[in-house]
Amino acid sequence: MSLRPSRRRRRPAVLAAVVAVAALGLAACSSSGGSGGSDDASDGGKKFAGQSLTVIMISSHEGAAKWLSTEFKKETGATIKPVIVPYDQIGSKLALDQQSGADTIDAAAPWYVSLGDLASQGAIQDLTSWIASDKKAIDPSDFIPSIYDAYSKVGDKRYGLPFDGDTHVLFYNKDILARNGISGPPKTWDEYLQDVKTITQNESSHGVYGAAIFGQKSPLILGASFANRLAGYGGEFLDAKGRPVVNSPEAVEAAQALVDVNPYALPTPAETDFGAGNSAWFAGKVGFIENWTDLGVRSEDPTSGSTVAGKWGVTTLPVGGSNTTPRASLVAGFTWVITAHTKKTGLARAFIEFATSSKVNAELLTASPPTGIDPNRKSSLDSAEYGQEFPEIQAVNRTTLSGTLAWPTGKHATELAQTLTDELAKLLAGQGGSAKDTMDRVEAKWKDILGD
Amino acid sequence: MVSPTVLATLVLGAYPLVFIVLTALSESSLGQPFQDWVGTRNLQHALGDGDVVASLVRNVVYAILVTIASTALGVVGALALHTATRRGSIARTLMLLPLITPPVVVGVLWKLIFNPAGGLLDTLLVALGYRGEPVAVLSSSAWAIVGVGVADVWEWTPIVLLLVFAALLGQDRAIGEAAALDGAHGFRLFREITFPAIGGTVAAVFLIRLVLAFKVFDLVFVLTSGGPGQATTMPAYLIYQAALQQFDIGRASSITLLLAVVVTIVTLPVILVTRRLHRD
Repeated sequence: MSLRPSRRRRRPAVLAAVVAVAALGLAACSSSGGSGGSDDASDGGKKFAGQSLTVIMISSHEGAAKWLSTEFKKETGATIKPVIVPYDQIGSKLALDQQSGADTIDAAAPWYVSLGDLASQGAIQDLTSWIASDKKAIDPSDFIPSIYDAYSKVGDKRYGLPFDGDTHVLFYNKDILARNGISGPPKTWDEYLQDVKTITQNESSHGVYGAAIFGQKSPLILGASFANRLAGYGGEFLDAKGRPVVNSPEAVEAAQALVDVNPYALPTPAETDFGAGNSAWFAGKVGFIENWTDLGVRSEDPTSGSTVAGKWGVTTLPVGGSNTTPRASLVAGFTWVITAHTKKTGLARAFIEFATSSKVNAELLTASPPTGIDPNRKSSLDSAEYGQEFPEIQAVNRTTLSGTLAWPTGKHATELAQTLTDELAKLLAGQGGSAKDTMDRVEAKWKDILGD
Repeated sequence: MVSPTVLATLVLGAYPLVFIVLTALSESSLGQPFQDWVGTRNLQHALGDGDVVASLVRNVVYAILVTIASTALGVVGALALHTATRRGSIARTLMLLPLITPPVVVGVLWKLIFNPAGGLLDTLLVALGYRGEPVAVLSSSAWAIVGVGVADVWEWTPIVLLLVFAALLGQDRAIGEAAALDGAHGFRLFREITFPAIGGTVAAVFLIRLVLAFKVFDLVFVLTSGGPGQATTMPAYLIYQAALQQFDIGRASSITLLLAVVVTIVTLPVILVTRRLHRD
């Protein structure tokens, strides 16, 4: 018996496949017109009444998305349609949206590290002249200076406005420290290691560990853990001329500090992402966790399932080596950009001006339920309400005012971050030789990528 | 007029292949393909990258091993189901469960099973009296790939089982019964009578399973992100990273071409064996 179907049977099947492909093509073509429309302001009633804007935001900003949608509609009449995606997929979503011709996205709040790549692809608008001409409304002088440049500038142009001034600090569980005879939070990474060892050795049999180390192989996770140590040891990613310095003694010490704490951390760092690490913190299972300052807000929030309300403290990241001054590590900030193909530039500008304003930032810091937003403005950082509700967080956040460590943001910055993360993951898995070998390889790869 | 067959071949086969080759030979980003022709530079970079070469070797070993495991388990399961065919309807329905479960959910499920802090495996080990350090399968350079492989075998073995079972149902039962009367039983009956009858199907299923194993992505993405280190990084994961995280379509296409060459080299003998068994 022949396995081949008859010609009569084959033809409908092939036709069906062709029709399906054609239908998909037509669907893609028709959707490209979906985001059309002008941004002409309505004269009657509110300025943008009846108009809508589609924006992409990450999942941890979902609360902020709801808050912004509600408040912006009250103010302008415009409807914000947030598209929520995983934290590392804004860039690809945006690029695919534009390459397909769909052009459904008008604005986005990506990780600031992707700014250079998005700009070099022509995916986002150059906002330099708008910011310069609308200084009064945007008030750039109120942005925290170290955040403003890092989150908006590529070369001598500005492509974004800072939204979430994320910086990592060190949270500690007061009960766990007290149980283990630790009088206060560590000042140096060496003291931190000793404290983590003590807690794990004393309490791991009961499921309590010294620290949750974010070690999953992602730039925003493992890369952030390294950046925290690099900041503490006083290192940099690039020198003043933009050349890689990731095999400096400080960088090697930072990598080694990560290796040293690995065996004493919540099992296991390689599997610890934000969900796993934060769950352990909220359950009171870890003594320390490096996290964004908004973790303090959520630790006090009754709806987050936190068991550590009133039991935690927060301090600046430890220091190490010859560095004695605490530094902020700008590991995961997010910045508003306007897409290159939007037909609603006016509305998009109005929205990001609103979303990044001093007033809105101050309100997002203390909103309930928590919005996941950290200070991006000097005025919001210093606001009385923020200080009254979260005095400790306000104090540690002031490290962002000077001497911060930021990721590179130029073209290929995303690849630089990924390369570093891949090599660090190998180091932690015992596949990368010593910390020095690892950082030498990263240095060589970065030079290759940057064409040095 | 172009026939539907030719059109379908062009749309589904030729166009993607030509696009991949052209982007591999050019500097192309996700937003701006074909910025500049760079010849074989992308391919040379990929071949000179130890992580890419290691992932290709790892992929070959992984694909062959999980395919052998799936095929062996699938054939044994199908034979067991065939001998208990009257009671097998519930079992057959259950067998569909892994197949109809979305791959991402399969990944999440196995991540929970392997979770060193209270996962199913950890709980079972504790119940059995284990009191050592938590067993972290997915964080072990040696065991993580085994963990991914176990999930992969669980997900795809049912398709082998169901296809082989269908082939067994198509057998002429009289031949088996005659052989049994002549004294053939057990493994001898399988080797002399059953396997020659279903060999072509088994080979074809082995080929399908092999290709599926080469394409593994979802499980790696959810379970390990290619880690620890590079222990579970497969070419499909590197292609995803290059294309959708670094927007470097030139590099992604180069790795795709290398993978295509490797898959062709590995599957060609299997295709030849499959054809021969079908002819026989």
